[in-house]
Amino acid sequence: MNNYSWLVRREFWENRAIWIVPAVIGAALTLAALFGRVDIAELTSPEQNRVVGGMVLFAFGVAFFVVMNIYSTWYLLDCLYADRKDRSVLFWKSLPISDTATVLAKLFTGLIAIPLVYFVAADISTLLMAFIVSVRARSTFGGALWQPDLWLQLQALWLYLIVTMAIWYLPFAGWLVLVSAWAKRAVMLWSVLPPLALYLLERWFFGTHVTGTALRDRALGYIPTAFQDITDRTAWVTTVIDRDTITTPGSIWRLLDPLGFFSNPATWLGLVVGVVFILGAIQLRLRRTDL
Amino acid sequence: MPALIEARDLTKKYGKHTALDHANFAVETGRIVGLIGPNGAGKTSALRAILGLTSYEGQLKVLDREPFTHRAALMNDACFIADVAVLPAWLRVDQAIDFVAGVHPRFRRDRAHALLAKTQITGKRRMRELSKGMKTQVHLALTMAIDAKLLVLDEPTLGLDILARRSFYDALVNDYMDETRTILITTHQVEEVENLLTDVIFIDRGRIVLDCSLEDIATRYAAVAVTEDRVATARAEKPFYERRTLGKTVLYFEKPDVDKLRDLGDLSTPSVSDLFVAKLSAGAA
Repeated sequence: MNNYSWLVRREFWENRAIWIVPAVIGAALTLAALFGRVDIAELTSPEQNRVVGGMVLFAFGVAFFVVMNIYSTWYLLDCLYADRKDRSVLFWKSLPISDTATVLAKLFTGLIAIPLVYFVAADISTLLMAFIVSVRARSTFGGALWQPDLWLQLQALWLYLIVTMAIWYLPFAGWLVLVSAWAKRAVMLWSVLPPLALYLLERWFFGTHVTGTALRDRALGYIPTAFQDITDRTAWVTTVIDRDTITTPGSIWRLLDPLGFFSNPATWLGLVVGVVFILGAIQLRLRRTDL
Repeated sequence: MPALIEARDLTKKYGKHTALDHANFAVETGRIVGLIGPNGAGKTSALRAILGLTSYEGQLKVLDREPFTHRAALMNDACFIADVAVLPAWLRVDQAIDFVAGVHPRFRRDRAHALLAKTQITGKRRMRELSKGMKTQVHLALTMAIDAKLLVLDEPTLGLDILARRSFYDALVNDYMDETRTILITTHQVEEVENLLTDVIFIDRGRIVLDCSLEDIATRYAAVAVTEDRVATARAEKPFYERRTLGKTVLYFEKPDVDKLRDLGDLSTPSVSDLFVAKLSAGAA
């Protein structure tokens, strides 16, 4: 365990963007709150408060979440390749740390540690923003941001996303570290080419779409698997603010579907595929010391 | 007591190329062994196999472990410096010390600090800001601060100036080396290390050409420098290699009849570098 904490710490030393990028986003959003327009709407009912407050807080989180996913993807693709590229793999291997621990620590960093950094950064900058807006705004808008129940719901949503996405997308993450452990150059290209080639070959020679369907189901299947049926109208609430009609979830709790997620065979099948890729990455890390 | 490193029929192939071809050798505790061979002889392959960095065929035991399957455990007792500067560019000196101290049970932080105090290098410097020689010094300080049973050095002084080289080898022999430690070292600067080695292993084209201690060299090998008129007589004693120098011919003998040779000319024990040239040239002929 001690080794793992040092391994993760080393990833933070090496990839300073892990905390610099969310810090920059947080600073930009805080500046926007300081100097931007804050009197957005005059809110007259608790219902309107809830909807507008929730949307603003959610949008803040989304900004972090989108960037985080792009960065994590790049990180997983680069992490093992970088060690071979700068030849430091020989230094790391001169220490009593197994290659399994190294690969797992990098996966943990990409799937859990980096998302948590963004999660904390999002919380800090959202608090700052809410504070600044409540001081600056003359309208009722500032008050709409201070709703403990909304905060709690969003915290739960982000943590649920982090955990379930790490599990659901493990085949993709495993594939990325496998490519990272294998490729001699152009990791980006190698991450895309084999699945693309498989898809095309399958289409030309057999006229089937197994690869394409599997990839599409995995890429798009997350929301239907991890969340309740989002077309169920009873879970949504429609509110009118000024002349806009806005539809939002009545409550986050009604949308999350952990039971459905963990009882879905596709979740576990994906986990198995992910583990196979990860085992492959470990074997490659064991054997490859050069580009 | 079993040997610290024991290789039997150690073979490493890269596709059709055979880097190590049924190599047999052993390294005993407390020795300073030079693994010496020309470029492409299989030195690096041998070291990588010993350090668990590559798979191999044949038998290999290092500190009673199979290196490839137990590299992490082996690195508790063994440490190495590879042939090129491999400390990552982003790493700061103090981070390097913290990290190794964190993961290595035998790392002695005070010793690393003491070694670095002798240099111009400060803790906040990143590797990318250091010269090649300074990077090597950091790496050496990190490695020599580990109480390891086996230290493997692959061209350790590459990029160091002559002063730094000399002080490195002095530190290695005087401060680091004791009877519990073993050092395996490769270098193409044979002259630089031959005074500190206790054993040599010559390797050529994947095969072990010689594996013996320096004391054994004195009893097993002899060189005789003879004048032209005695060359024919000397050749009758079956030298394995001969070389012409200033007006004389030096003939090299294995298991020599010392009494006969003494009468022919100047008898001496060949230096490691001379023996290396003799052995390899003879093998190539």
